Amino acid sequence: MNRFLACLAMAASLEAQPAADRLKQGEDVFNKTCATGYCHAPKGGPGGGAPRLAARGFDEAYINATTTRGLPGTPMPAFSTVLNRGELSAVIAYVASLNGIAAAAGPAFGGAPGGGRGGPPQAMLPPEAIAGRELFTDSVRGFARCATCHEAGGVGISVASPISTIPADAAALRALATPHVQTVTVEGDSMPALMLSQGKQRTVFYDLTTVPPVRRTSEAAGIKVVDGSGWKHSAVIASYSDTELNSILQFLKAVVK
Amino acid sequence: MRFLLVSCSLVAAYAQGIVTDGATRADWPHYGGTQLSWRYSALDQINTGNVKKLAPAWVFQTGDYTDALQSTPIVVSGVLYLSSPRSQVYALDAATGQLLWQFKYPLPPASAAAGILTRPQNRGVAVGDGYVFLGTYDNYVVAIDAKTGHEAWKVNIDDSKHCGCIISGAPLVVKDKVIVGGTGGDGAHRGYLTALNTRTGRLAWRFYTIPGPGEKGNETWKGDSWKYGGGATWMTGSFDPALNLVYWGTGNAASDFYPGDRVTGSGRDIDLYTASVVALDADTGKLKWHYQEIPNDLWDFDSAYECILLDREVKGQMRKLLVHMNKSGLMFVLDRVTGQFLGAYSTVEVQTWISGITETGELVGRREPKVGSSTNVCPSPAGAKSWNQMAYSPRTGMIYTPNMELCFDVTANRQEPREGSFYSGGSWALKLAPNRTTYSHIDGWDAVTGKRMWTYAYKYVLLASILTTAGDLVFTGDPEGNFFALDARNGNKLWTFQTGAGHRGSAVSYSVNGRQYIATPTGWGTITGPMTSALFPEGDTWRGGSALMVFALPEESK
Repeated sequence: MNRFLACLAMAASLEAQPAADRLKQGEDVFNKTCATGYCHAPKGGPGGGAPRLAARGFDEAYINATTTRGLPGTPMPAFSTVLNRGELSAVIAYVASLNGIAAAAGPAFGGAPGGGRGGPPQAMLPPEAIAGRELFTDSVRGFARCATCHEAGGVGISVASPISTIPADAAALRALATPHVQTVTVEGDSMPALMLSQGKQRTVFYDLTTVPPVRRTSEAAGIKVVDGSGWKHSAVIASYSDTELNSILQFLKAVVK
Repeated sequence: MRFLLVSCSLVAAYAQGIVTDGATRADWPHYGGTQLSWRYSALDQINTGNVKKLAPAWVFQTGDYTDALQSTPIVVSGVLYLSSPRSQVYALDAATGQLLWQFKYPLPPASAAAGILTRPQNRGVAVGDGYVFLGTYDNYVVAIDAKTGHEAWKVNIDDSKHCGCIISGAPLVVKDKVIVGGTGGDGAHRGYLTALNTRTGRLAWRFYTIPGPGEKGNETWKGDSWKYGGGATWMTGSFDPALNLVYWGTGNAASDFYPGDRVTGSGRDIDLYTASVVALDADTGKLKWHYQEIPNDLWDFDSAYECILLDREVKGQMRKLLVHMNKSGLMFVLDRVTGQFLGAYSTVEVQTWISGITETGELVGRREPKVGSSTNVCPSPAGAKSWNQMAYSPRTGMIYTPNMELCFDVTANRQEPREGSFYSGGSWALKLAPNRTTYSHIDGWDAVTGKRMWTYAYKYVLLASILTTAGDLVFTGDPEGNFFALDARNGNKLWTFQTGAGHRGSAVSYSVNGRQYIATPTGWGTITGPMTSALFPEGDTWRGGSALMVFALPEESK
């Protein structure tokens, strides 16, 4: 009997959350996410960098839209990519309460974590791809990370052409042939280069001598371009182990269409 | 009430002859004037005797009205280079204001809501080796041909979508390198400085303000907290050519107000090298010394500000000094050869965050934020001084500071780091200091002893940089739109001009064909601007804009 009641209570908690609990959760989310001084002030009052939110006469639809999608042209971001659904609905209820709108008991979304900044939410990726994404963008490696030259799944810098075919394994990734990397000589300085455009007035290319690559625009006369180079993909990904590279390939398989 | 610090009565002698010259003349070649960051012009055509006749010479409207014009104009050989918040660069004839070229960096999409961490802001360009160097709102460094305005090279130094960081500070050119810092110190981010070759854009060195595993100093971080520990380098450093050292201030540790996940010890050197001044070898980026001003900075007091390099006699001995202030209003006097602490003085009148500082630089009576209850602390993260810069005159021996008397109510919260997301570990609201009628002041301080020689009080806040000149003048502007000149010797107001928009930028002086000009950006804004406006009923009348106003003496009277 007792066990039966406990199960019922648990089931109920997945569907509804008392209004007071939602407001408390909403205030907690607000304090940690919104009331950071540089943005809004605690309780939506004055003294923050962003406008006051309390007693502004906002209706719930406006609060919902602004919180979820952000305000274009202002520093107010779209929190749908930052907060999970439960946190979002709680903080919306809290800001509504600051505008005199009573909170109703509502669905308590369990919610997976949001996706962080840019790109599809991590929750949509399989676990092995999430690990690969972290390796792809790994700041600890400094410039020796994939994201220095590649954009995939909304993260990284698109120096190289968009990834369209994915090597089968780490060995294939290391052995990747790069015949499109040429050798450019400008004013006596030769460098491995990715050509972007070559016209009469100017030549635009990425100098791959060091990471990060440098986009050069040269108006110098007598630029020499020859096919082939000594540049090797294996050298710039040397900080990754085979296991790590295989994990990165899982991420690419999940996001490259 | 004024809190006197336990400090450090330095007996300093002045007027021994200038050993290091940080004055500008016809040009204003670097962000801080020269690489010594005095913001002092040796030009004296405009002086205390004739400043009343100062009149507008020309005005330039940038057209980029998204935020305050914060730029320090750079002037080289009669050309003035100006940048605006969304990374636009303008080259102007410095005598007439005529546009020579405009570098149209791609604008952020109108639909983009950048978030507070990556909000476009820009405080100026650097010029050297025939290039204009720009740090952009999306973390590129761009070299622009100074004659044509054409892009020469462009390199991304971090993914702003991922790091939650941008380049808002002006780069610093040091010999054959251009050095840039970045924002992100209130987010989960690990700060760094990046040096690029001026001619090729290739990476010369990178210095992480937080040491990695196996490096000395990493042991001052708990667990993985070093990966997200802040220490942003968002302002511009200085350079001593004789010592070949680059000096840079580093921001607070993250999370700002909650230290439980990052601190391993107590006493000195906590979470290195945040809240510090670092001295780096200019050629290699290797650390020569560090001085941590606020071990475990729990107030977002952010030591990222400018380093003034000057030589003065201290206790009978000529010393190479570095004078540096953070948002707390504490002015630190260091030996810039060794990093030795020589003394400190406070520039604010209302101070509750500490009760004092010992003769060895130890902070005592710290009033720290708590979890679960609000603590009122003065000054505030808006800064006793915000990022706007102070100035030093070798003629008076004084440092001139803009200071605000503000406090904040802060509650610490534990927060999980998520790389590139806000990570302040607390919530807070700005407050006016109690029982006052004026909330800011400009002061003239004996640079080394910290004796206040004069003060000029103002009822609202002051958030523009200071310019001082050999005409014994101090120039700055207020949020109501007034640009004004004080007598550098005693603080008397000598001249004022209503420019039509509030001041949040940095004035400079230069000359073309023998005529001296004073140029000031106008336009209220940034994060701190509106935050302080909201404290005053009149604050909503302080106007934005984006114009450079340039003044000179009428031709017949110079």
